[in-house]
Amino acid sequence: MKKQLVHIKGTKEGLVLRLDDQCAYADLVEELSHKVSEGSIDGIVDVQLHLGNRYLSNEQQVELINIVENSGSMQVAKLHSDVIPIIESNEKLITEQYDTYVGIVRSGQVLKSAGDIIVIGDVNPNGQVEAVGNIYVLGNLRGIVHAGIEGNRDAIVAASQFKPTHVLIADSIEIMSNESPVVQNSSEQLFAYLNRDGIISYERLQEVRKIRPFFNKVKGGS
Amino acid sequence: MGEAIVITSGKGGVGKTTTTANLGTALALQGKKVCLVDTDIGLRNLDLVLGLDNRIIYDLVDVINGRCKVHQALVRDKRVDEKLFLLPAAQTTDKNAVTPEQMKSLIDELKREYDYVLIDCPAGIEQGYKNAVAGADRAIVVTTPEISAVRDADRIIGLLEKEAIEPPKLIINRIRKDLMKNGDTMDITEITTHLSIDLLGIIIDNEEVISSSNKGEPIVMDPNNKASLGYRNIARRILGESVPLMTLEDQQKGMFKKLISIFSK
Ligand SMILES: Nc1ncnc2c1ncn2[C@@H]1O[C@H](COP(=O)(O)OP(=O)(O)O)[C@@H](O)[C@H]1O
Ligand SMILES: [Mg+2]
Repeated sequence: MKKQLVHIKGTKEGLVLRLDDQCAYADLVEELSHKVSEGSIDGIVDVQLHLGNRYLSNEQQVELINIVENSGSMQVAKLHSDVIPIIESNEKLITEQYDTYVGIVRSGQVLKSAGDIIVIGDVNPNGQVEAVGNIYVLGNLRGIVHAGIEGNRDAIVAASQFKPTHVLIADSIEIMSNESPVVQNSSEQLFAYLNRDGIISYERLQEVRKIRPFFNKVKGGS
Repeated sequence: MGEAIVITSGKGGVGKTTTTANLGTALALQGKKVCLVDTDIGLRNLDLVLGLDNRIIYDLVDVINGRCKVHQALVRDKRVDEKLFLLPAAQTTDKNAVTPEQMKSLIDELKREYDYVLIDCPAGIEQGYKNAVAGADRAIVVTTPEISAVRDADRIIGLLEKEAIEPPKLIINRIRKDLMKNGDTMDITEITTHLSIDLLGIIIDNEEVISSSNKGEPIVMDPNNKASLGYRNIARRILGESVPLMTLEDQQKGMFKKLISIFSK
């Protein structure tokens, strides 16, 4: 008997299509088209495609999704593969890394990080910190900060004493002046983030868990 | 082997030259052999403040270009018996006439003869600054309580921290008690926390500093002046003594006299 290339399984969240990761891509496409046209389902069900150890290009991903959705009764909720290219993996490693800088970022100095950065010390006026990810200052922030410098709009800037002259997040900029009374008069630890309208906003540090819950990587705390 | 100390600031007009002249004189009065080097090529004036301008024959660029020996270019200050010498800056040449390597070997040569070599640095962060810092073992940063001066001091400290020298020390010059009290200038604690470096001493703003400079006689020669006392205290701290920071209050307000405690080493 010929080996089955597409396994269908029903779960609480809908259907899971487990696709063989050893066969030729063309064979997989053929069998998948065949399988999805067979069934007779009422309404539309969510489908997850599990690719195993197969890596698909963007075009191939779109092709498979179209095949499934063209059946008329299925909608692809998720595409899951166990493998990513080395390039992507390296990029992930860099942006997920933390840099720690112990010292003072003085006037005229620029401190850069390819991921998140923690500054243990002050950022003085005219001193500048740039990060692809988030910026945390354990000290007095009175200089210029640019978080998400490559466009990450989820990036935040937090500081023990939050008194920067300029805050930039992704491609938004805010020049802090007396017109920002929230920040001027606050004695609390603050952080800056981009709100849903793409405007730089400020909140108490405690609110990070509500505004950026996905920052949390540690389970527990019991 | 002596020690070379560069006196620098970033911003001009904050008192580098005044500080160099007065600290040099104070150290010489304490019996140390001192050589002052003016590296502000093109804008020399350390000689004027010391009243030695009309005795200059050769200058720093002459020495570096081999037109004379070091000792021929040094001008002796007669007030402090065989203890204080000046190597004047060139007035005519431009500041690119000297390289940091040449400066370093000159300073090294002077360190063999003198206990202290004080290097008066030009304003800015260009070539002149690089030359002045090249031969130094230590650095003193001079600022006034004005924000612009403190900003420039911060910039210079950042650059100095990258050099292979000891962490720089701070002198706050031209302190005006009235302005500081009213919050019209930053106060001493604000400045030292902003810059996060050790405070070497404070000098009050005092008209006699200006008039004595104009007469070519450093204020530190006057034992009764308060700015003079500031310089003498700093000289003693450089020599390793622990001298408490002087109070800003007037003597007659003795009851309210308050010792500022940030300098308690
Ligand atoms: N403590 C002081 N009180 C009053 N005037 C001062 C004081 N220190 C410096 N000055 C004056 O400030 C001016 C600039 O000082 P200077 O030492 O030439 O600065 P720089 O070498 O940093 O350019 C001079 O006129 C000097 O007399
Ligand atoms: Mg000068």
